[in-house]
Amino acid sequence: MKAALLLPVLLVPLLLPSRHLATFVLLTLAAAVTVGVSLLMGYAGQISLGQASFYAIGAYTAGLLAVHGVPPVLGLLVAPLVAGLAAAVIGFPLLRLRGHHLAFATLAVQLILLSLLAQATWAGGAIGLQGIPRFSIGGFTLRQDLGYAYLALLVLGVALLVSRNVVSSRAGRGLRAAASSEVAAAASGVPVGGYRLVVFALSAAFAGLAGGVYAFYLGYLAPGSFPVLLSIEYVVMAVVGGLGTIAGPVVGAVLIVGLVQVLNTLGTQPGMPDYAPGVLSYAVYAILLIVCVLYLPRGVVPALRKAVARR
Amino acid sequence: MSDLLGYVITGLGIGAGFALVGSGLVAIYRVTGVVNFAQGAFAVLAAMLTGSLLGAGVPHGLAEVGGVLLGAVAGLVVGVIAIGRPGTSPGTSLIVTLGLGILAYAIEVLIWGDQPRSYPGVPGVAEVAGARLQAHYLLIIGVTGPVFAAMAWFFARTDLGKALSACASNRYAAQVVGIDVRRMGLAAFVLGGALGGLAGVLTTPVQQVTFDSDVALIVNGFAAAVLGGLTRPVVALAGGLLLGVAQTLVAGYGGGAYQVEVALVLMLTVMIVQSARSGPVPA
Repeated sequence: MKAALLLPVLLVPLLLPSRHLATFVLLTLAAAVTVGVSLLMGYAGQISLGQASFYAIGAYTAGLLAVHGVPPVLGLLVAPLVAGLAAAVIGFPLLRLRGHHLAFATLAVQLILLSLLAQATWAGGAIGLQGIPRFSIGGFTLRQDLGYAYLALLVLGVALLVSRNVVSSRAGRGLRAAASSEVAAAASGVPVGGYRLVVFALSAAFAGLAGGVYAFYLGYLAPGSFPVLLSIEYVVMAVVGGLGTIAGPVVGAVLIVGLVQVLNTLGTQPGMPDYAPGVLSYAVYAILLIVCVLYLPRGVVPALRKAVARR
Repeated sequence: MSDLLGYVITGLGIGAGFALVGSGLVAIYRVTGVVNFAQGAFAVLAAMLTGSLLGAGVPHGLAEVGGVLLGAVAGLVVGVIAIGRPGTSPGTSLIVTLGLGILAYAIEVLIWGDQPRSYPGVPGVAEVAGARLQAHYLLIIGVTGPVFAAMAWFFARTDLGKALSACASNRYAAQVVGIDVRRMGLAAFVLGGALGGLAGVLTTPVQQVTFDSDVALIVNGFAAAVLGGLTRPVVALAGGLLLGVAQTLVAGYGGGAYQVEVALVLMLTVMIVQSARSGPVPA
């Protein structure tokens, strides 16, 4: 990200009307998760339909620790570690799988997690985990949405920075080689399996960190907050924005959350049936995904870049 | 003892649904190389339409056929969009079918709302060798058996079936002898749609259907299909039945809570063992 772009972004939460701040927080958290999905799909060539599981693991880790009296800062730091560790343990056998097998395996992992969470009475079960305190550092407690907007921006910034450094590192080049030809990359000495596992764990850690903020922001978690559709939304954002670019996940998240928000506003107008918002947002996800994959296979950001370069 | 028999027959009935969804996946995957994520949506669409037709006074039998036909039509539509553009890779097609599955949500909620739906099937309780179970399960088993026999006959004896098998075993060779591979792919999607629709129509009387019950169906169907490496319909049948019986046994003896995990862990184990045997193959 160019430094000149950074300043206006930092001003956005201040300029937004306060009723839109909640959307901004959720959008920014979604963008942070999507950075990981984009890294995974674009650079490691893997598709995960279970990324919301790591978001949930991070959220529940932070939430449970905080409920039991651990300082929120500590909980927020532990959340990505637990999510990343869980991904490493799950990924060790799972990443032997490729393509559609991996897609279904990650989907299965999420369904297992949701079912286990719904039965785990120590985590609130199906009713959910309640009474998570607000985020605080030392004696300072974050109460306003504005504070969470900046916390979410910080998380997104960390995800982008780490992801940029990974991509431009030696490991990143090895990954790009492996995404185009695994055999050739392995023959040139790239430890493909190891790198894939690291990227999987790293993308899970981004999701876990974002999930931690989500837990403190909402103060309440239930298995139903992390449906399979949420995982698919991250994939849609990553694909629409453009895989294998740094700005892609952010653009994808802004575009889709923005569009869904506008349609939601339309759908909740008086006179509209109560199922309208749901129908409209399903349609947006579906149509954007299909049109993008078929007609803009590399996503919005590379297409825009090309259009600008041509002029 | 009669408990066990009851669980097994119920499990076979549930498993038959998974087997139908799974064999639909297999039919499409064999011919086109695409894993069809919208397979569960065919079942939901078919079940919803059947419920509406029955509600409108259409007699049983006719309403169910209508549901299966809608499944087949939906299969054709998904096929046209997913493999219609030349040069679409199977990976891209997978994402397209995923998108179409979500689009089906929008259509289903728009037409039928988001509440669970069901309709009556074969009424009453049947007794088989002392085991008591819902009679409708016998209908599911009684329909699924002949359908699989008919499929075996279709693939082995009819020209269309042989052409489909040819595409499945060697697409290039099939093209050389004058088979229209794209048209065969669409035929496979129609067949897959009808099989998925049949699964939905048959199982809805014993388990309600909502717009998002396709996720459970597709995952269980995929689990059934993956046992046969996604290419053998008969193994998908065996896999589906095994899965159904395993789930009802776990639910019956171990408490209902963990039956989802059983199917999924079984699927993961099979996939990982299969990939370990064949070695890491690049996608």
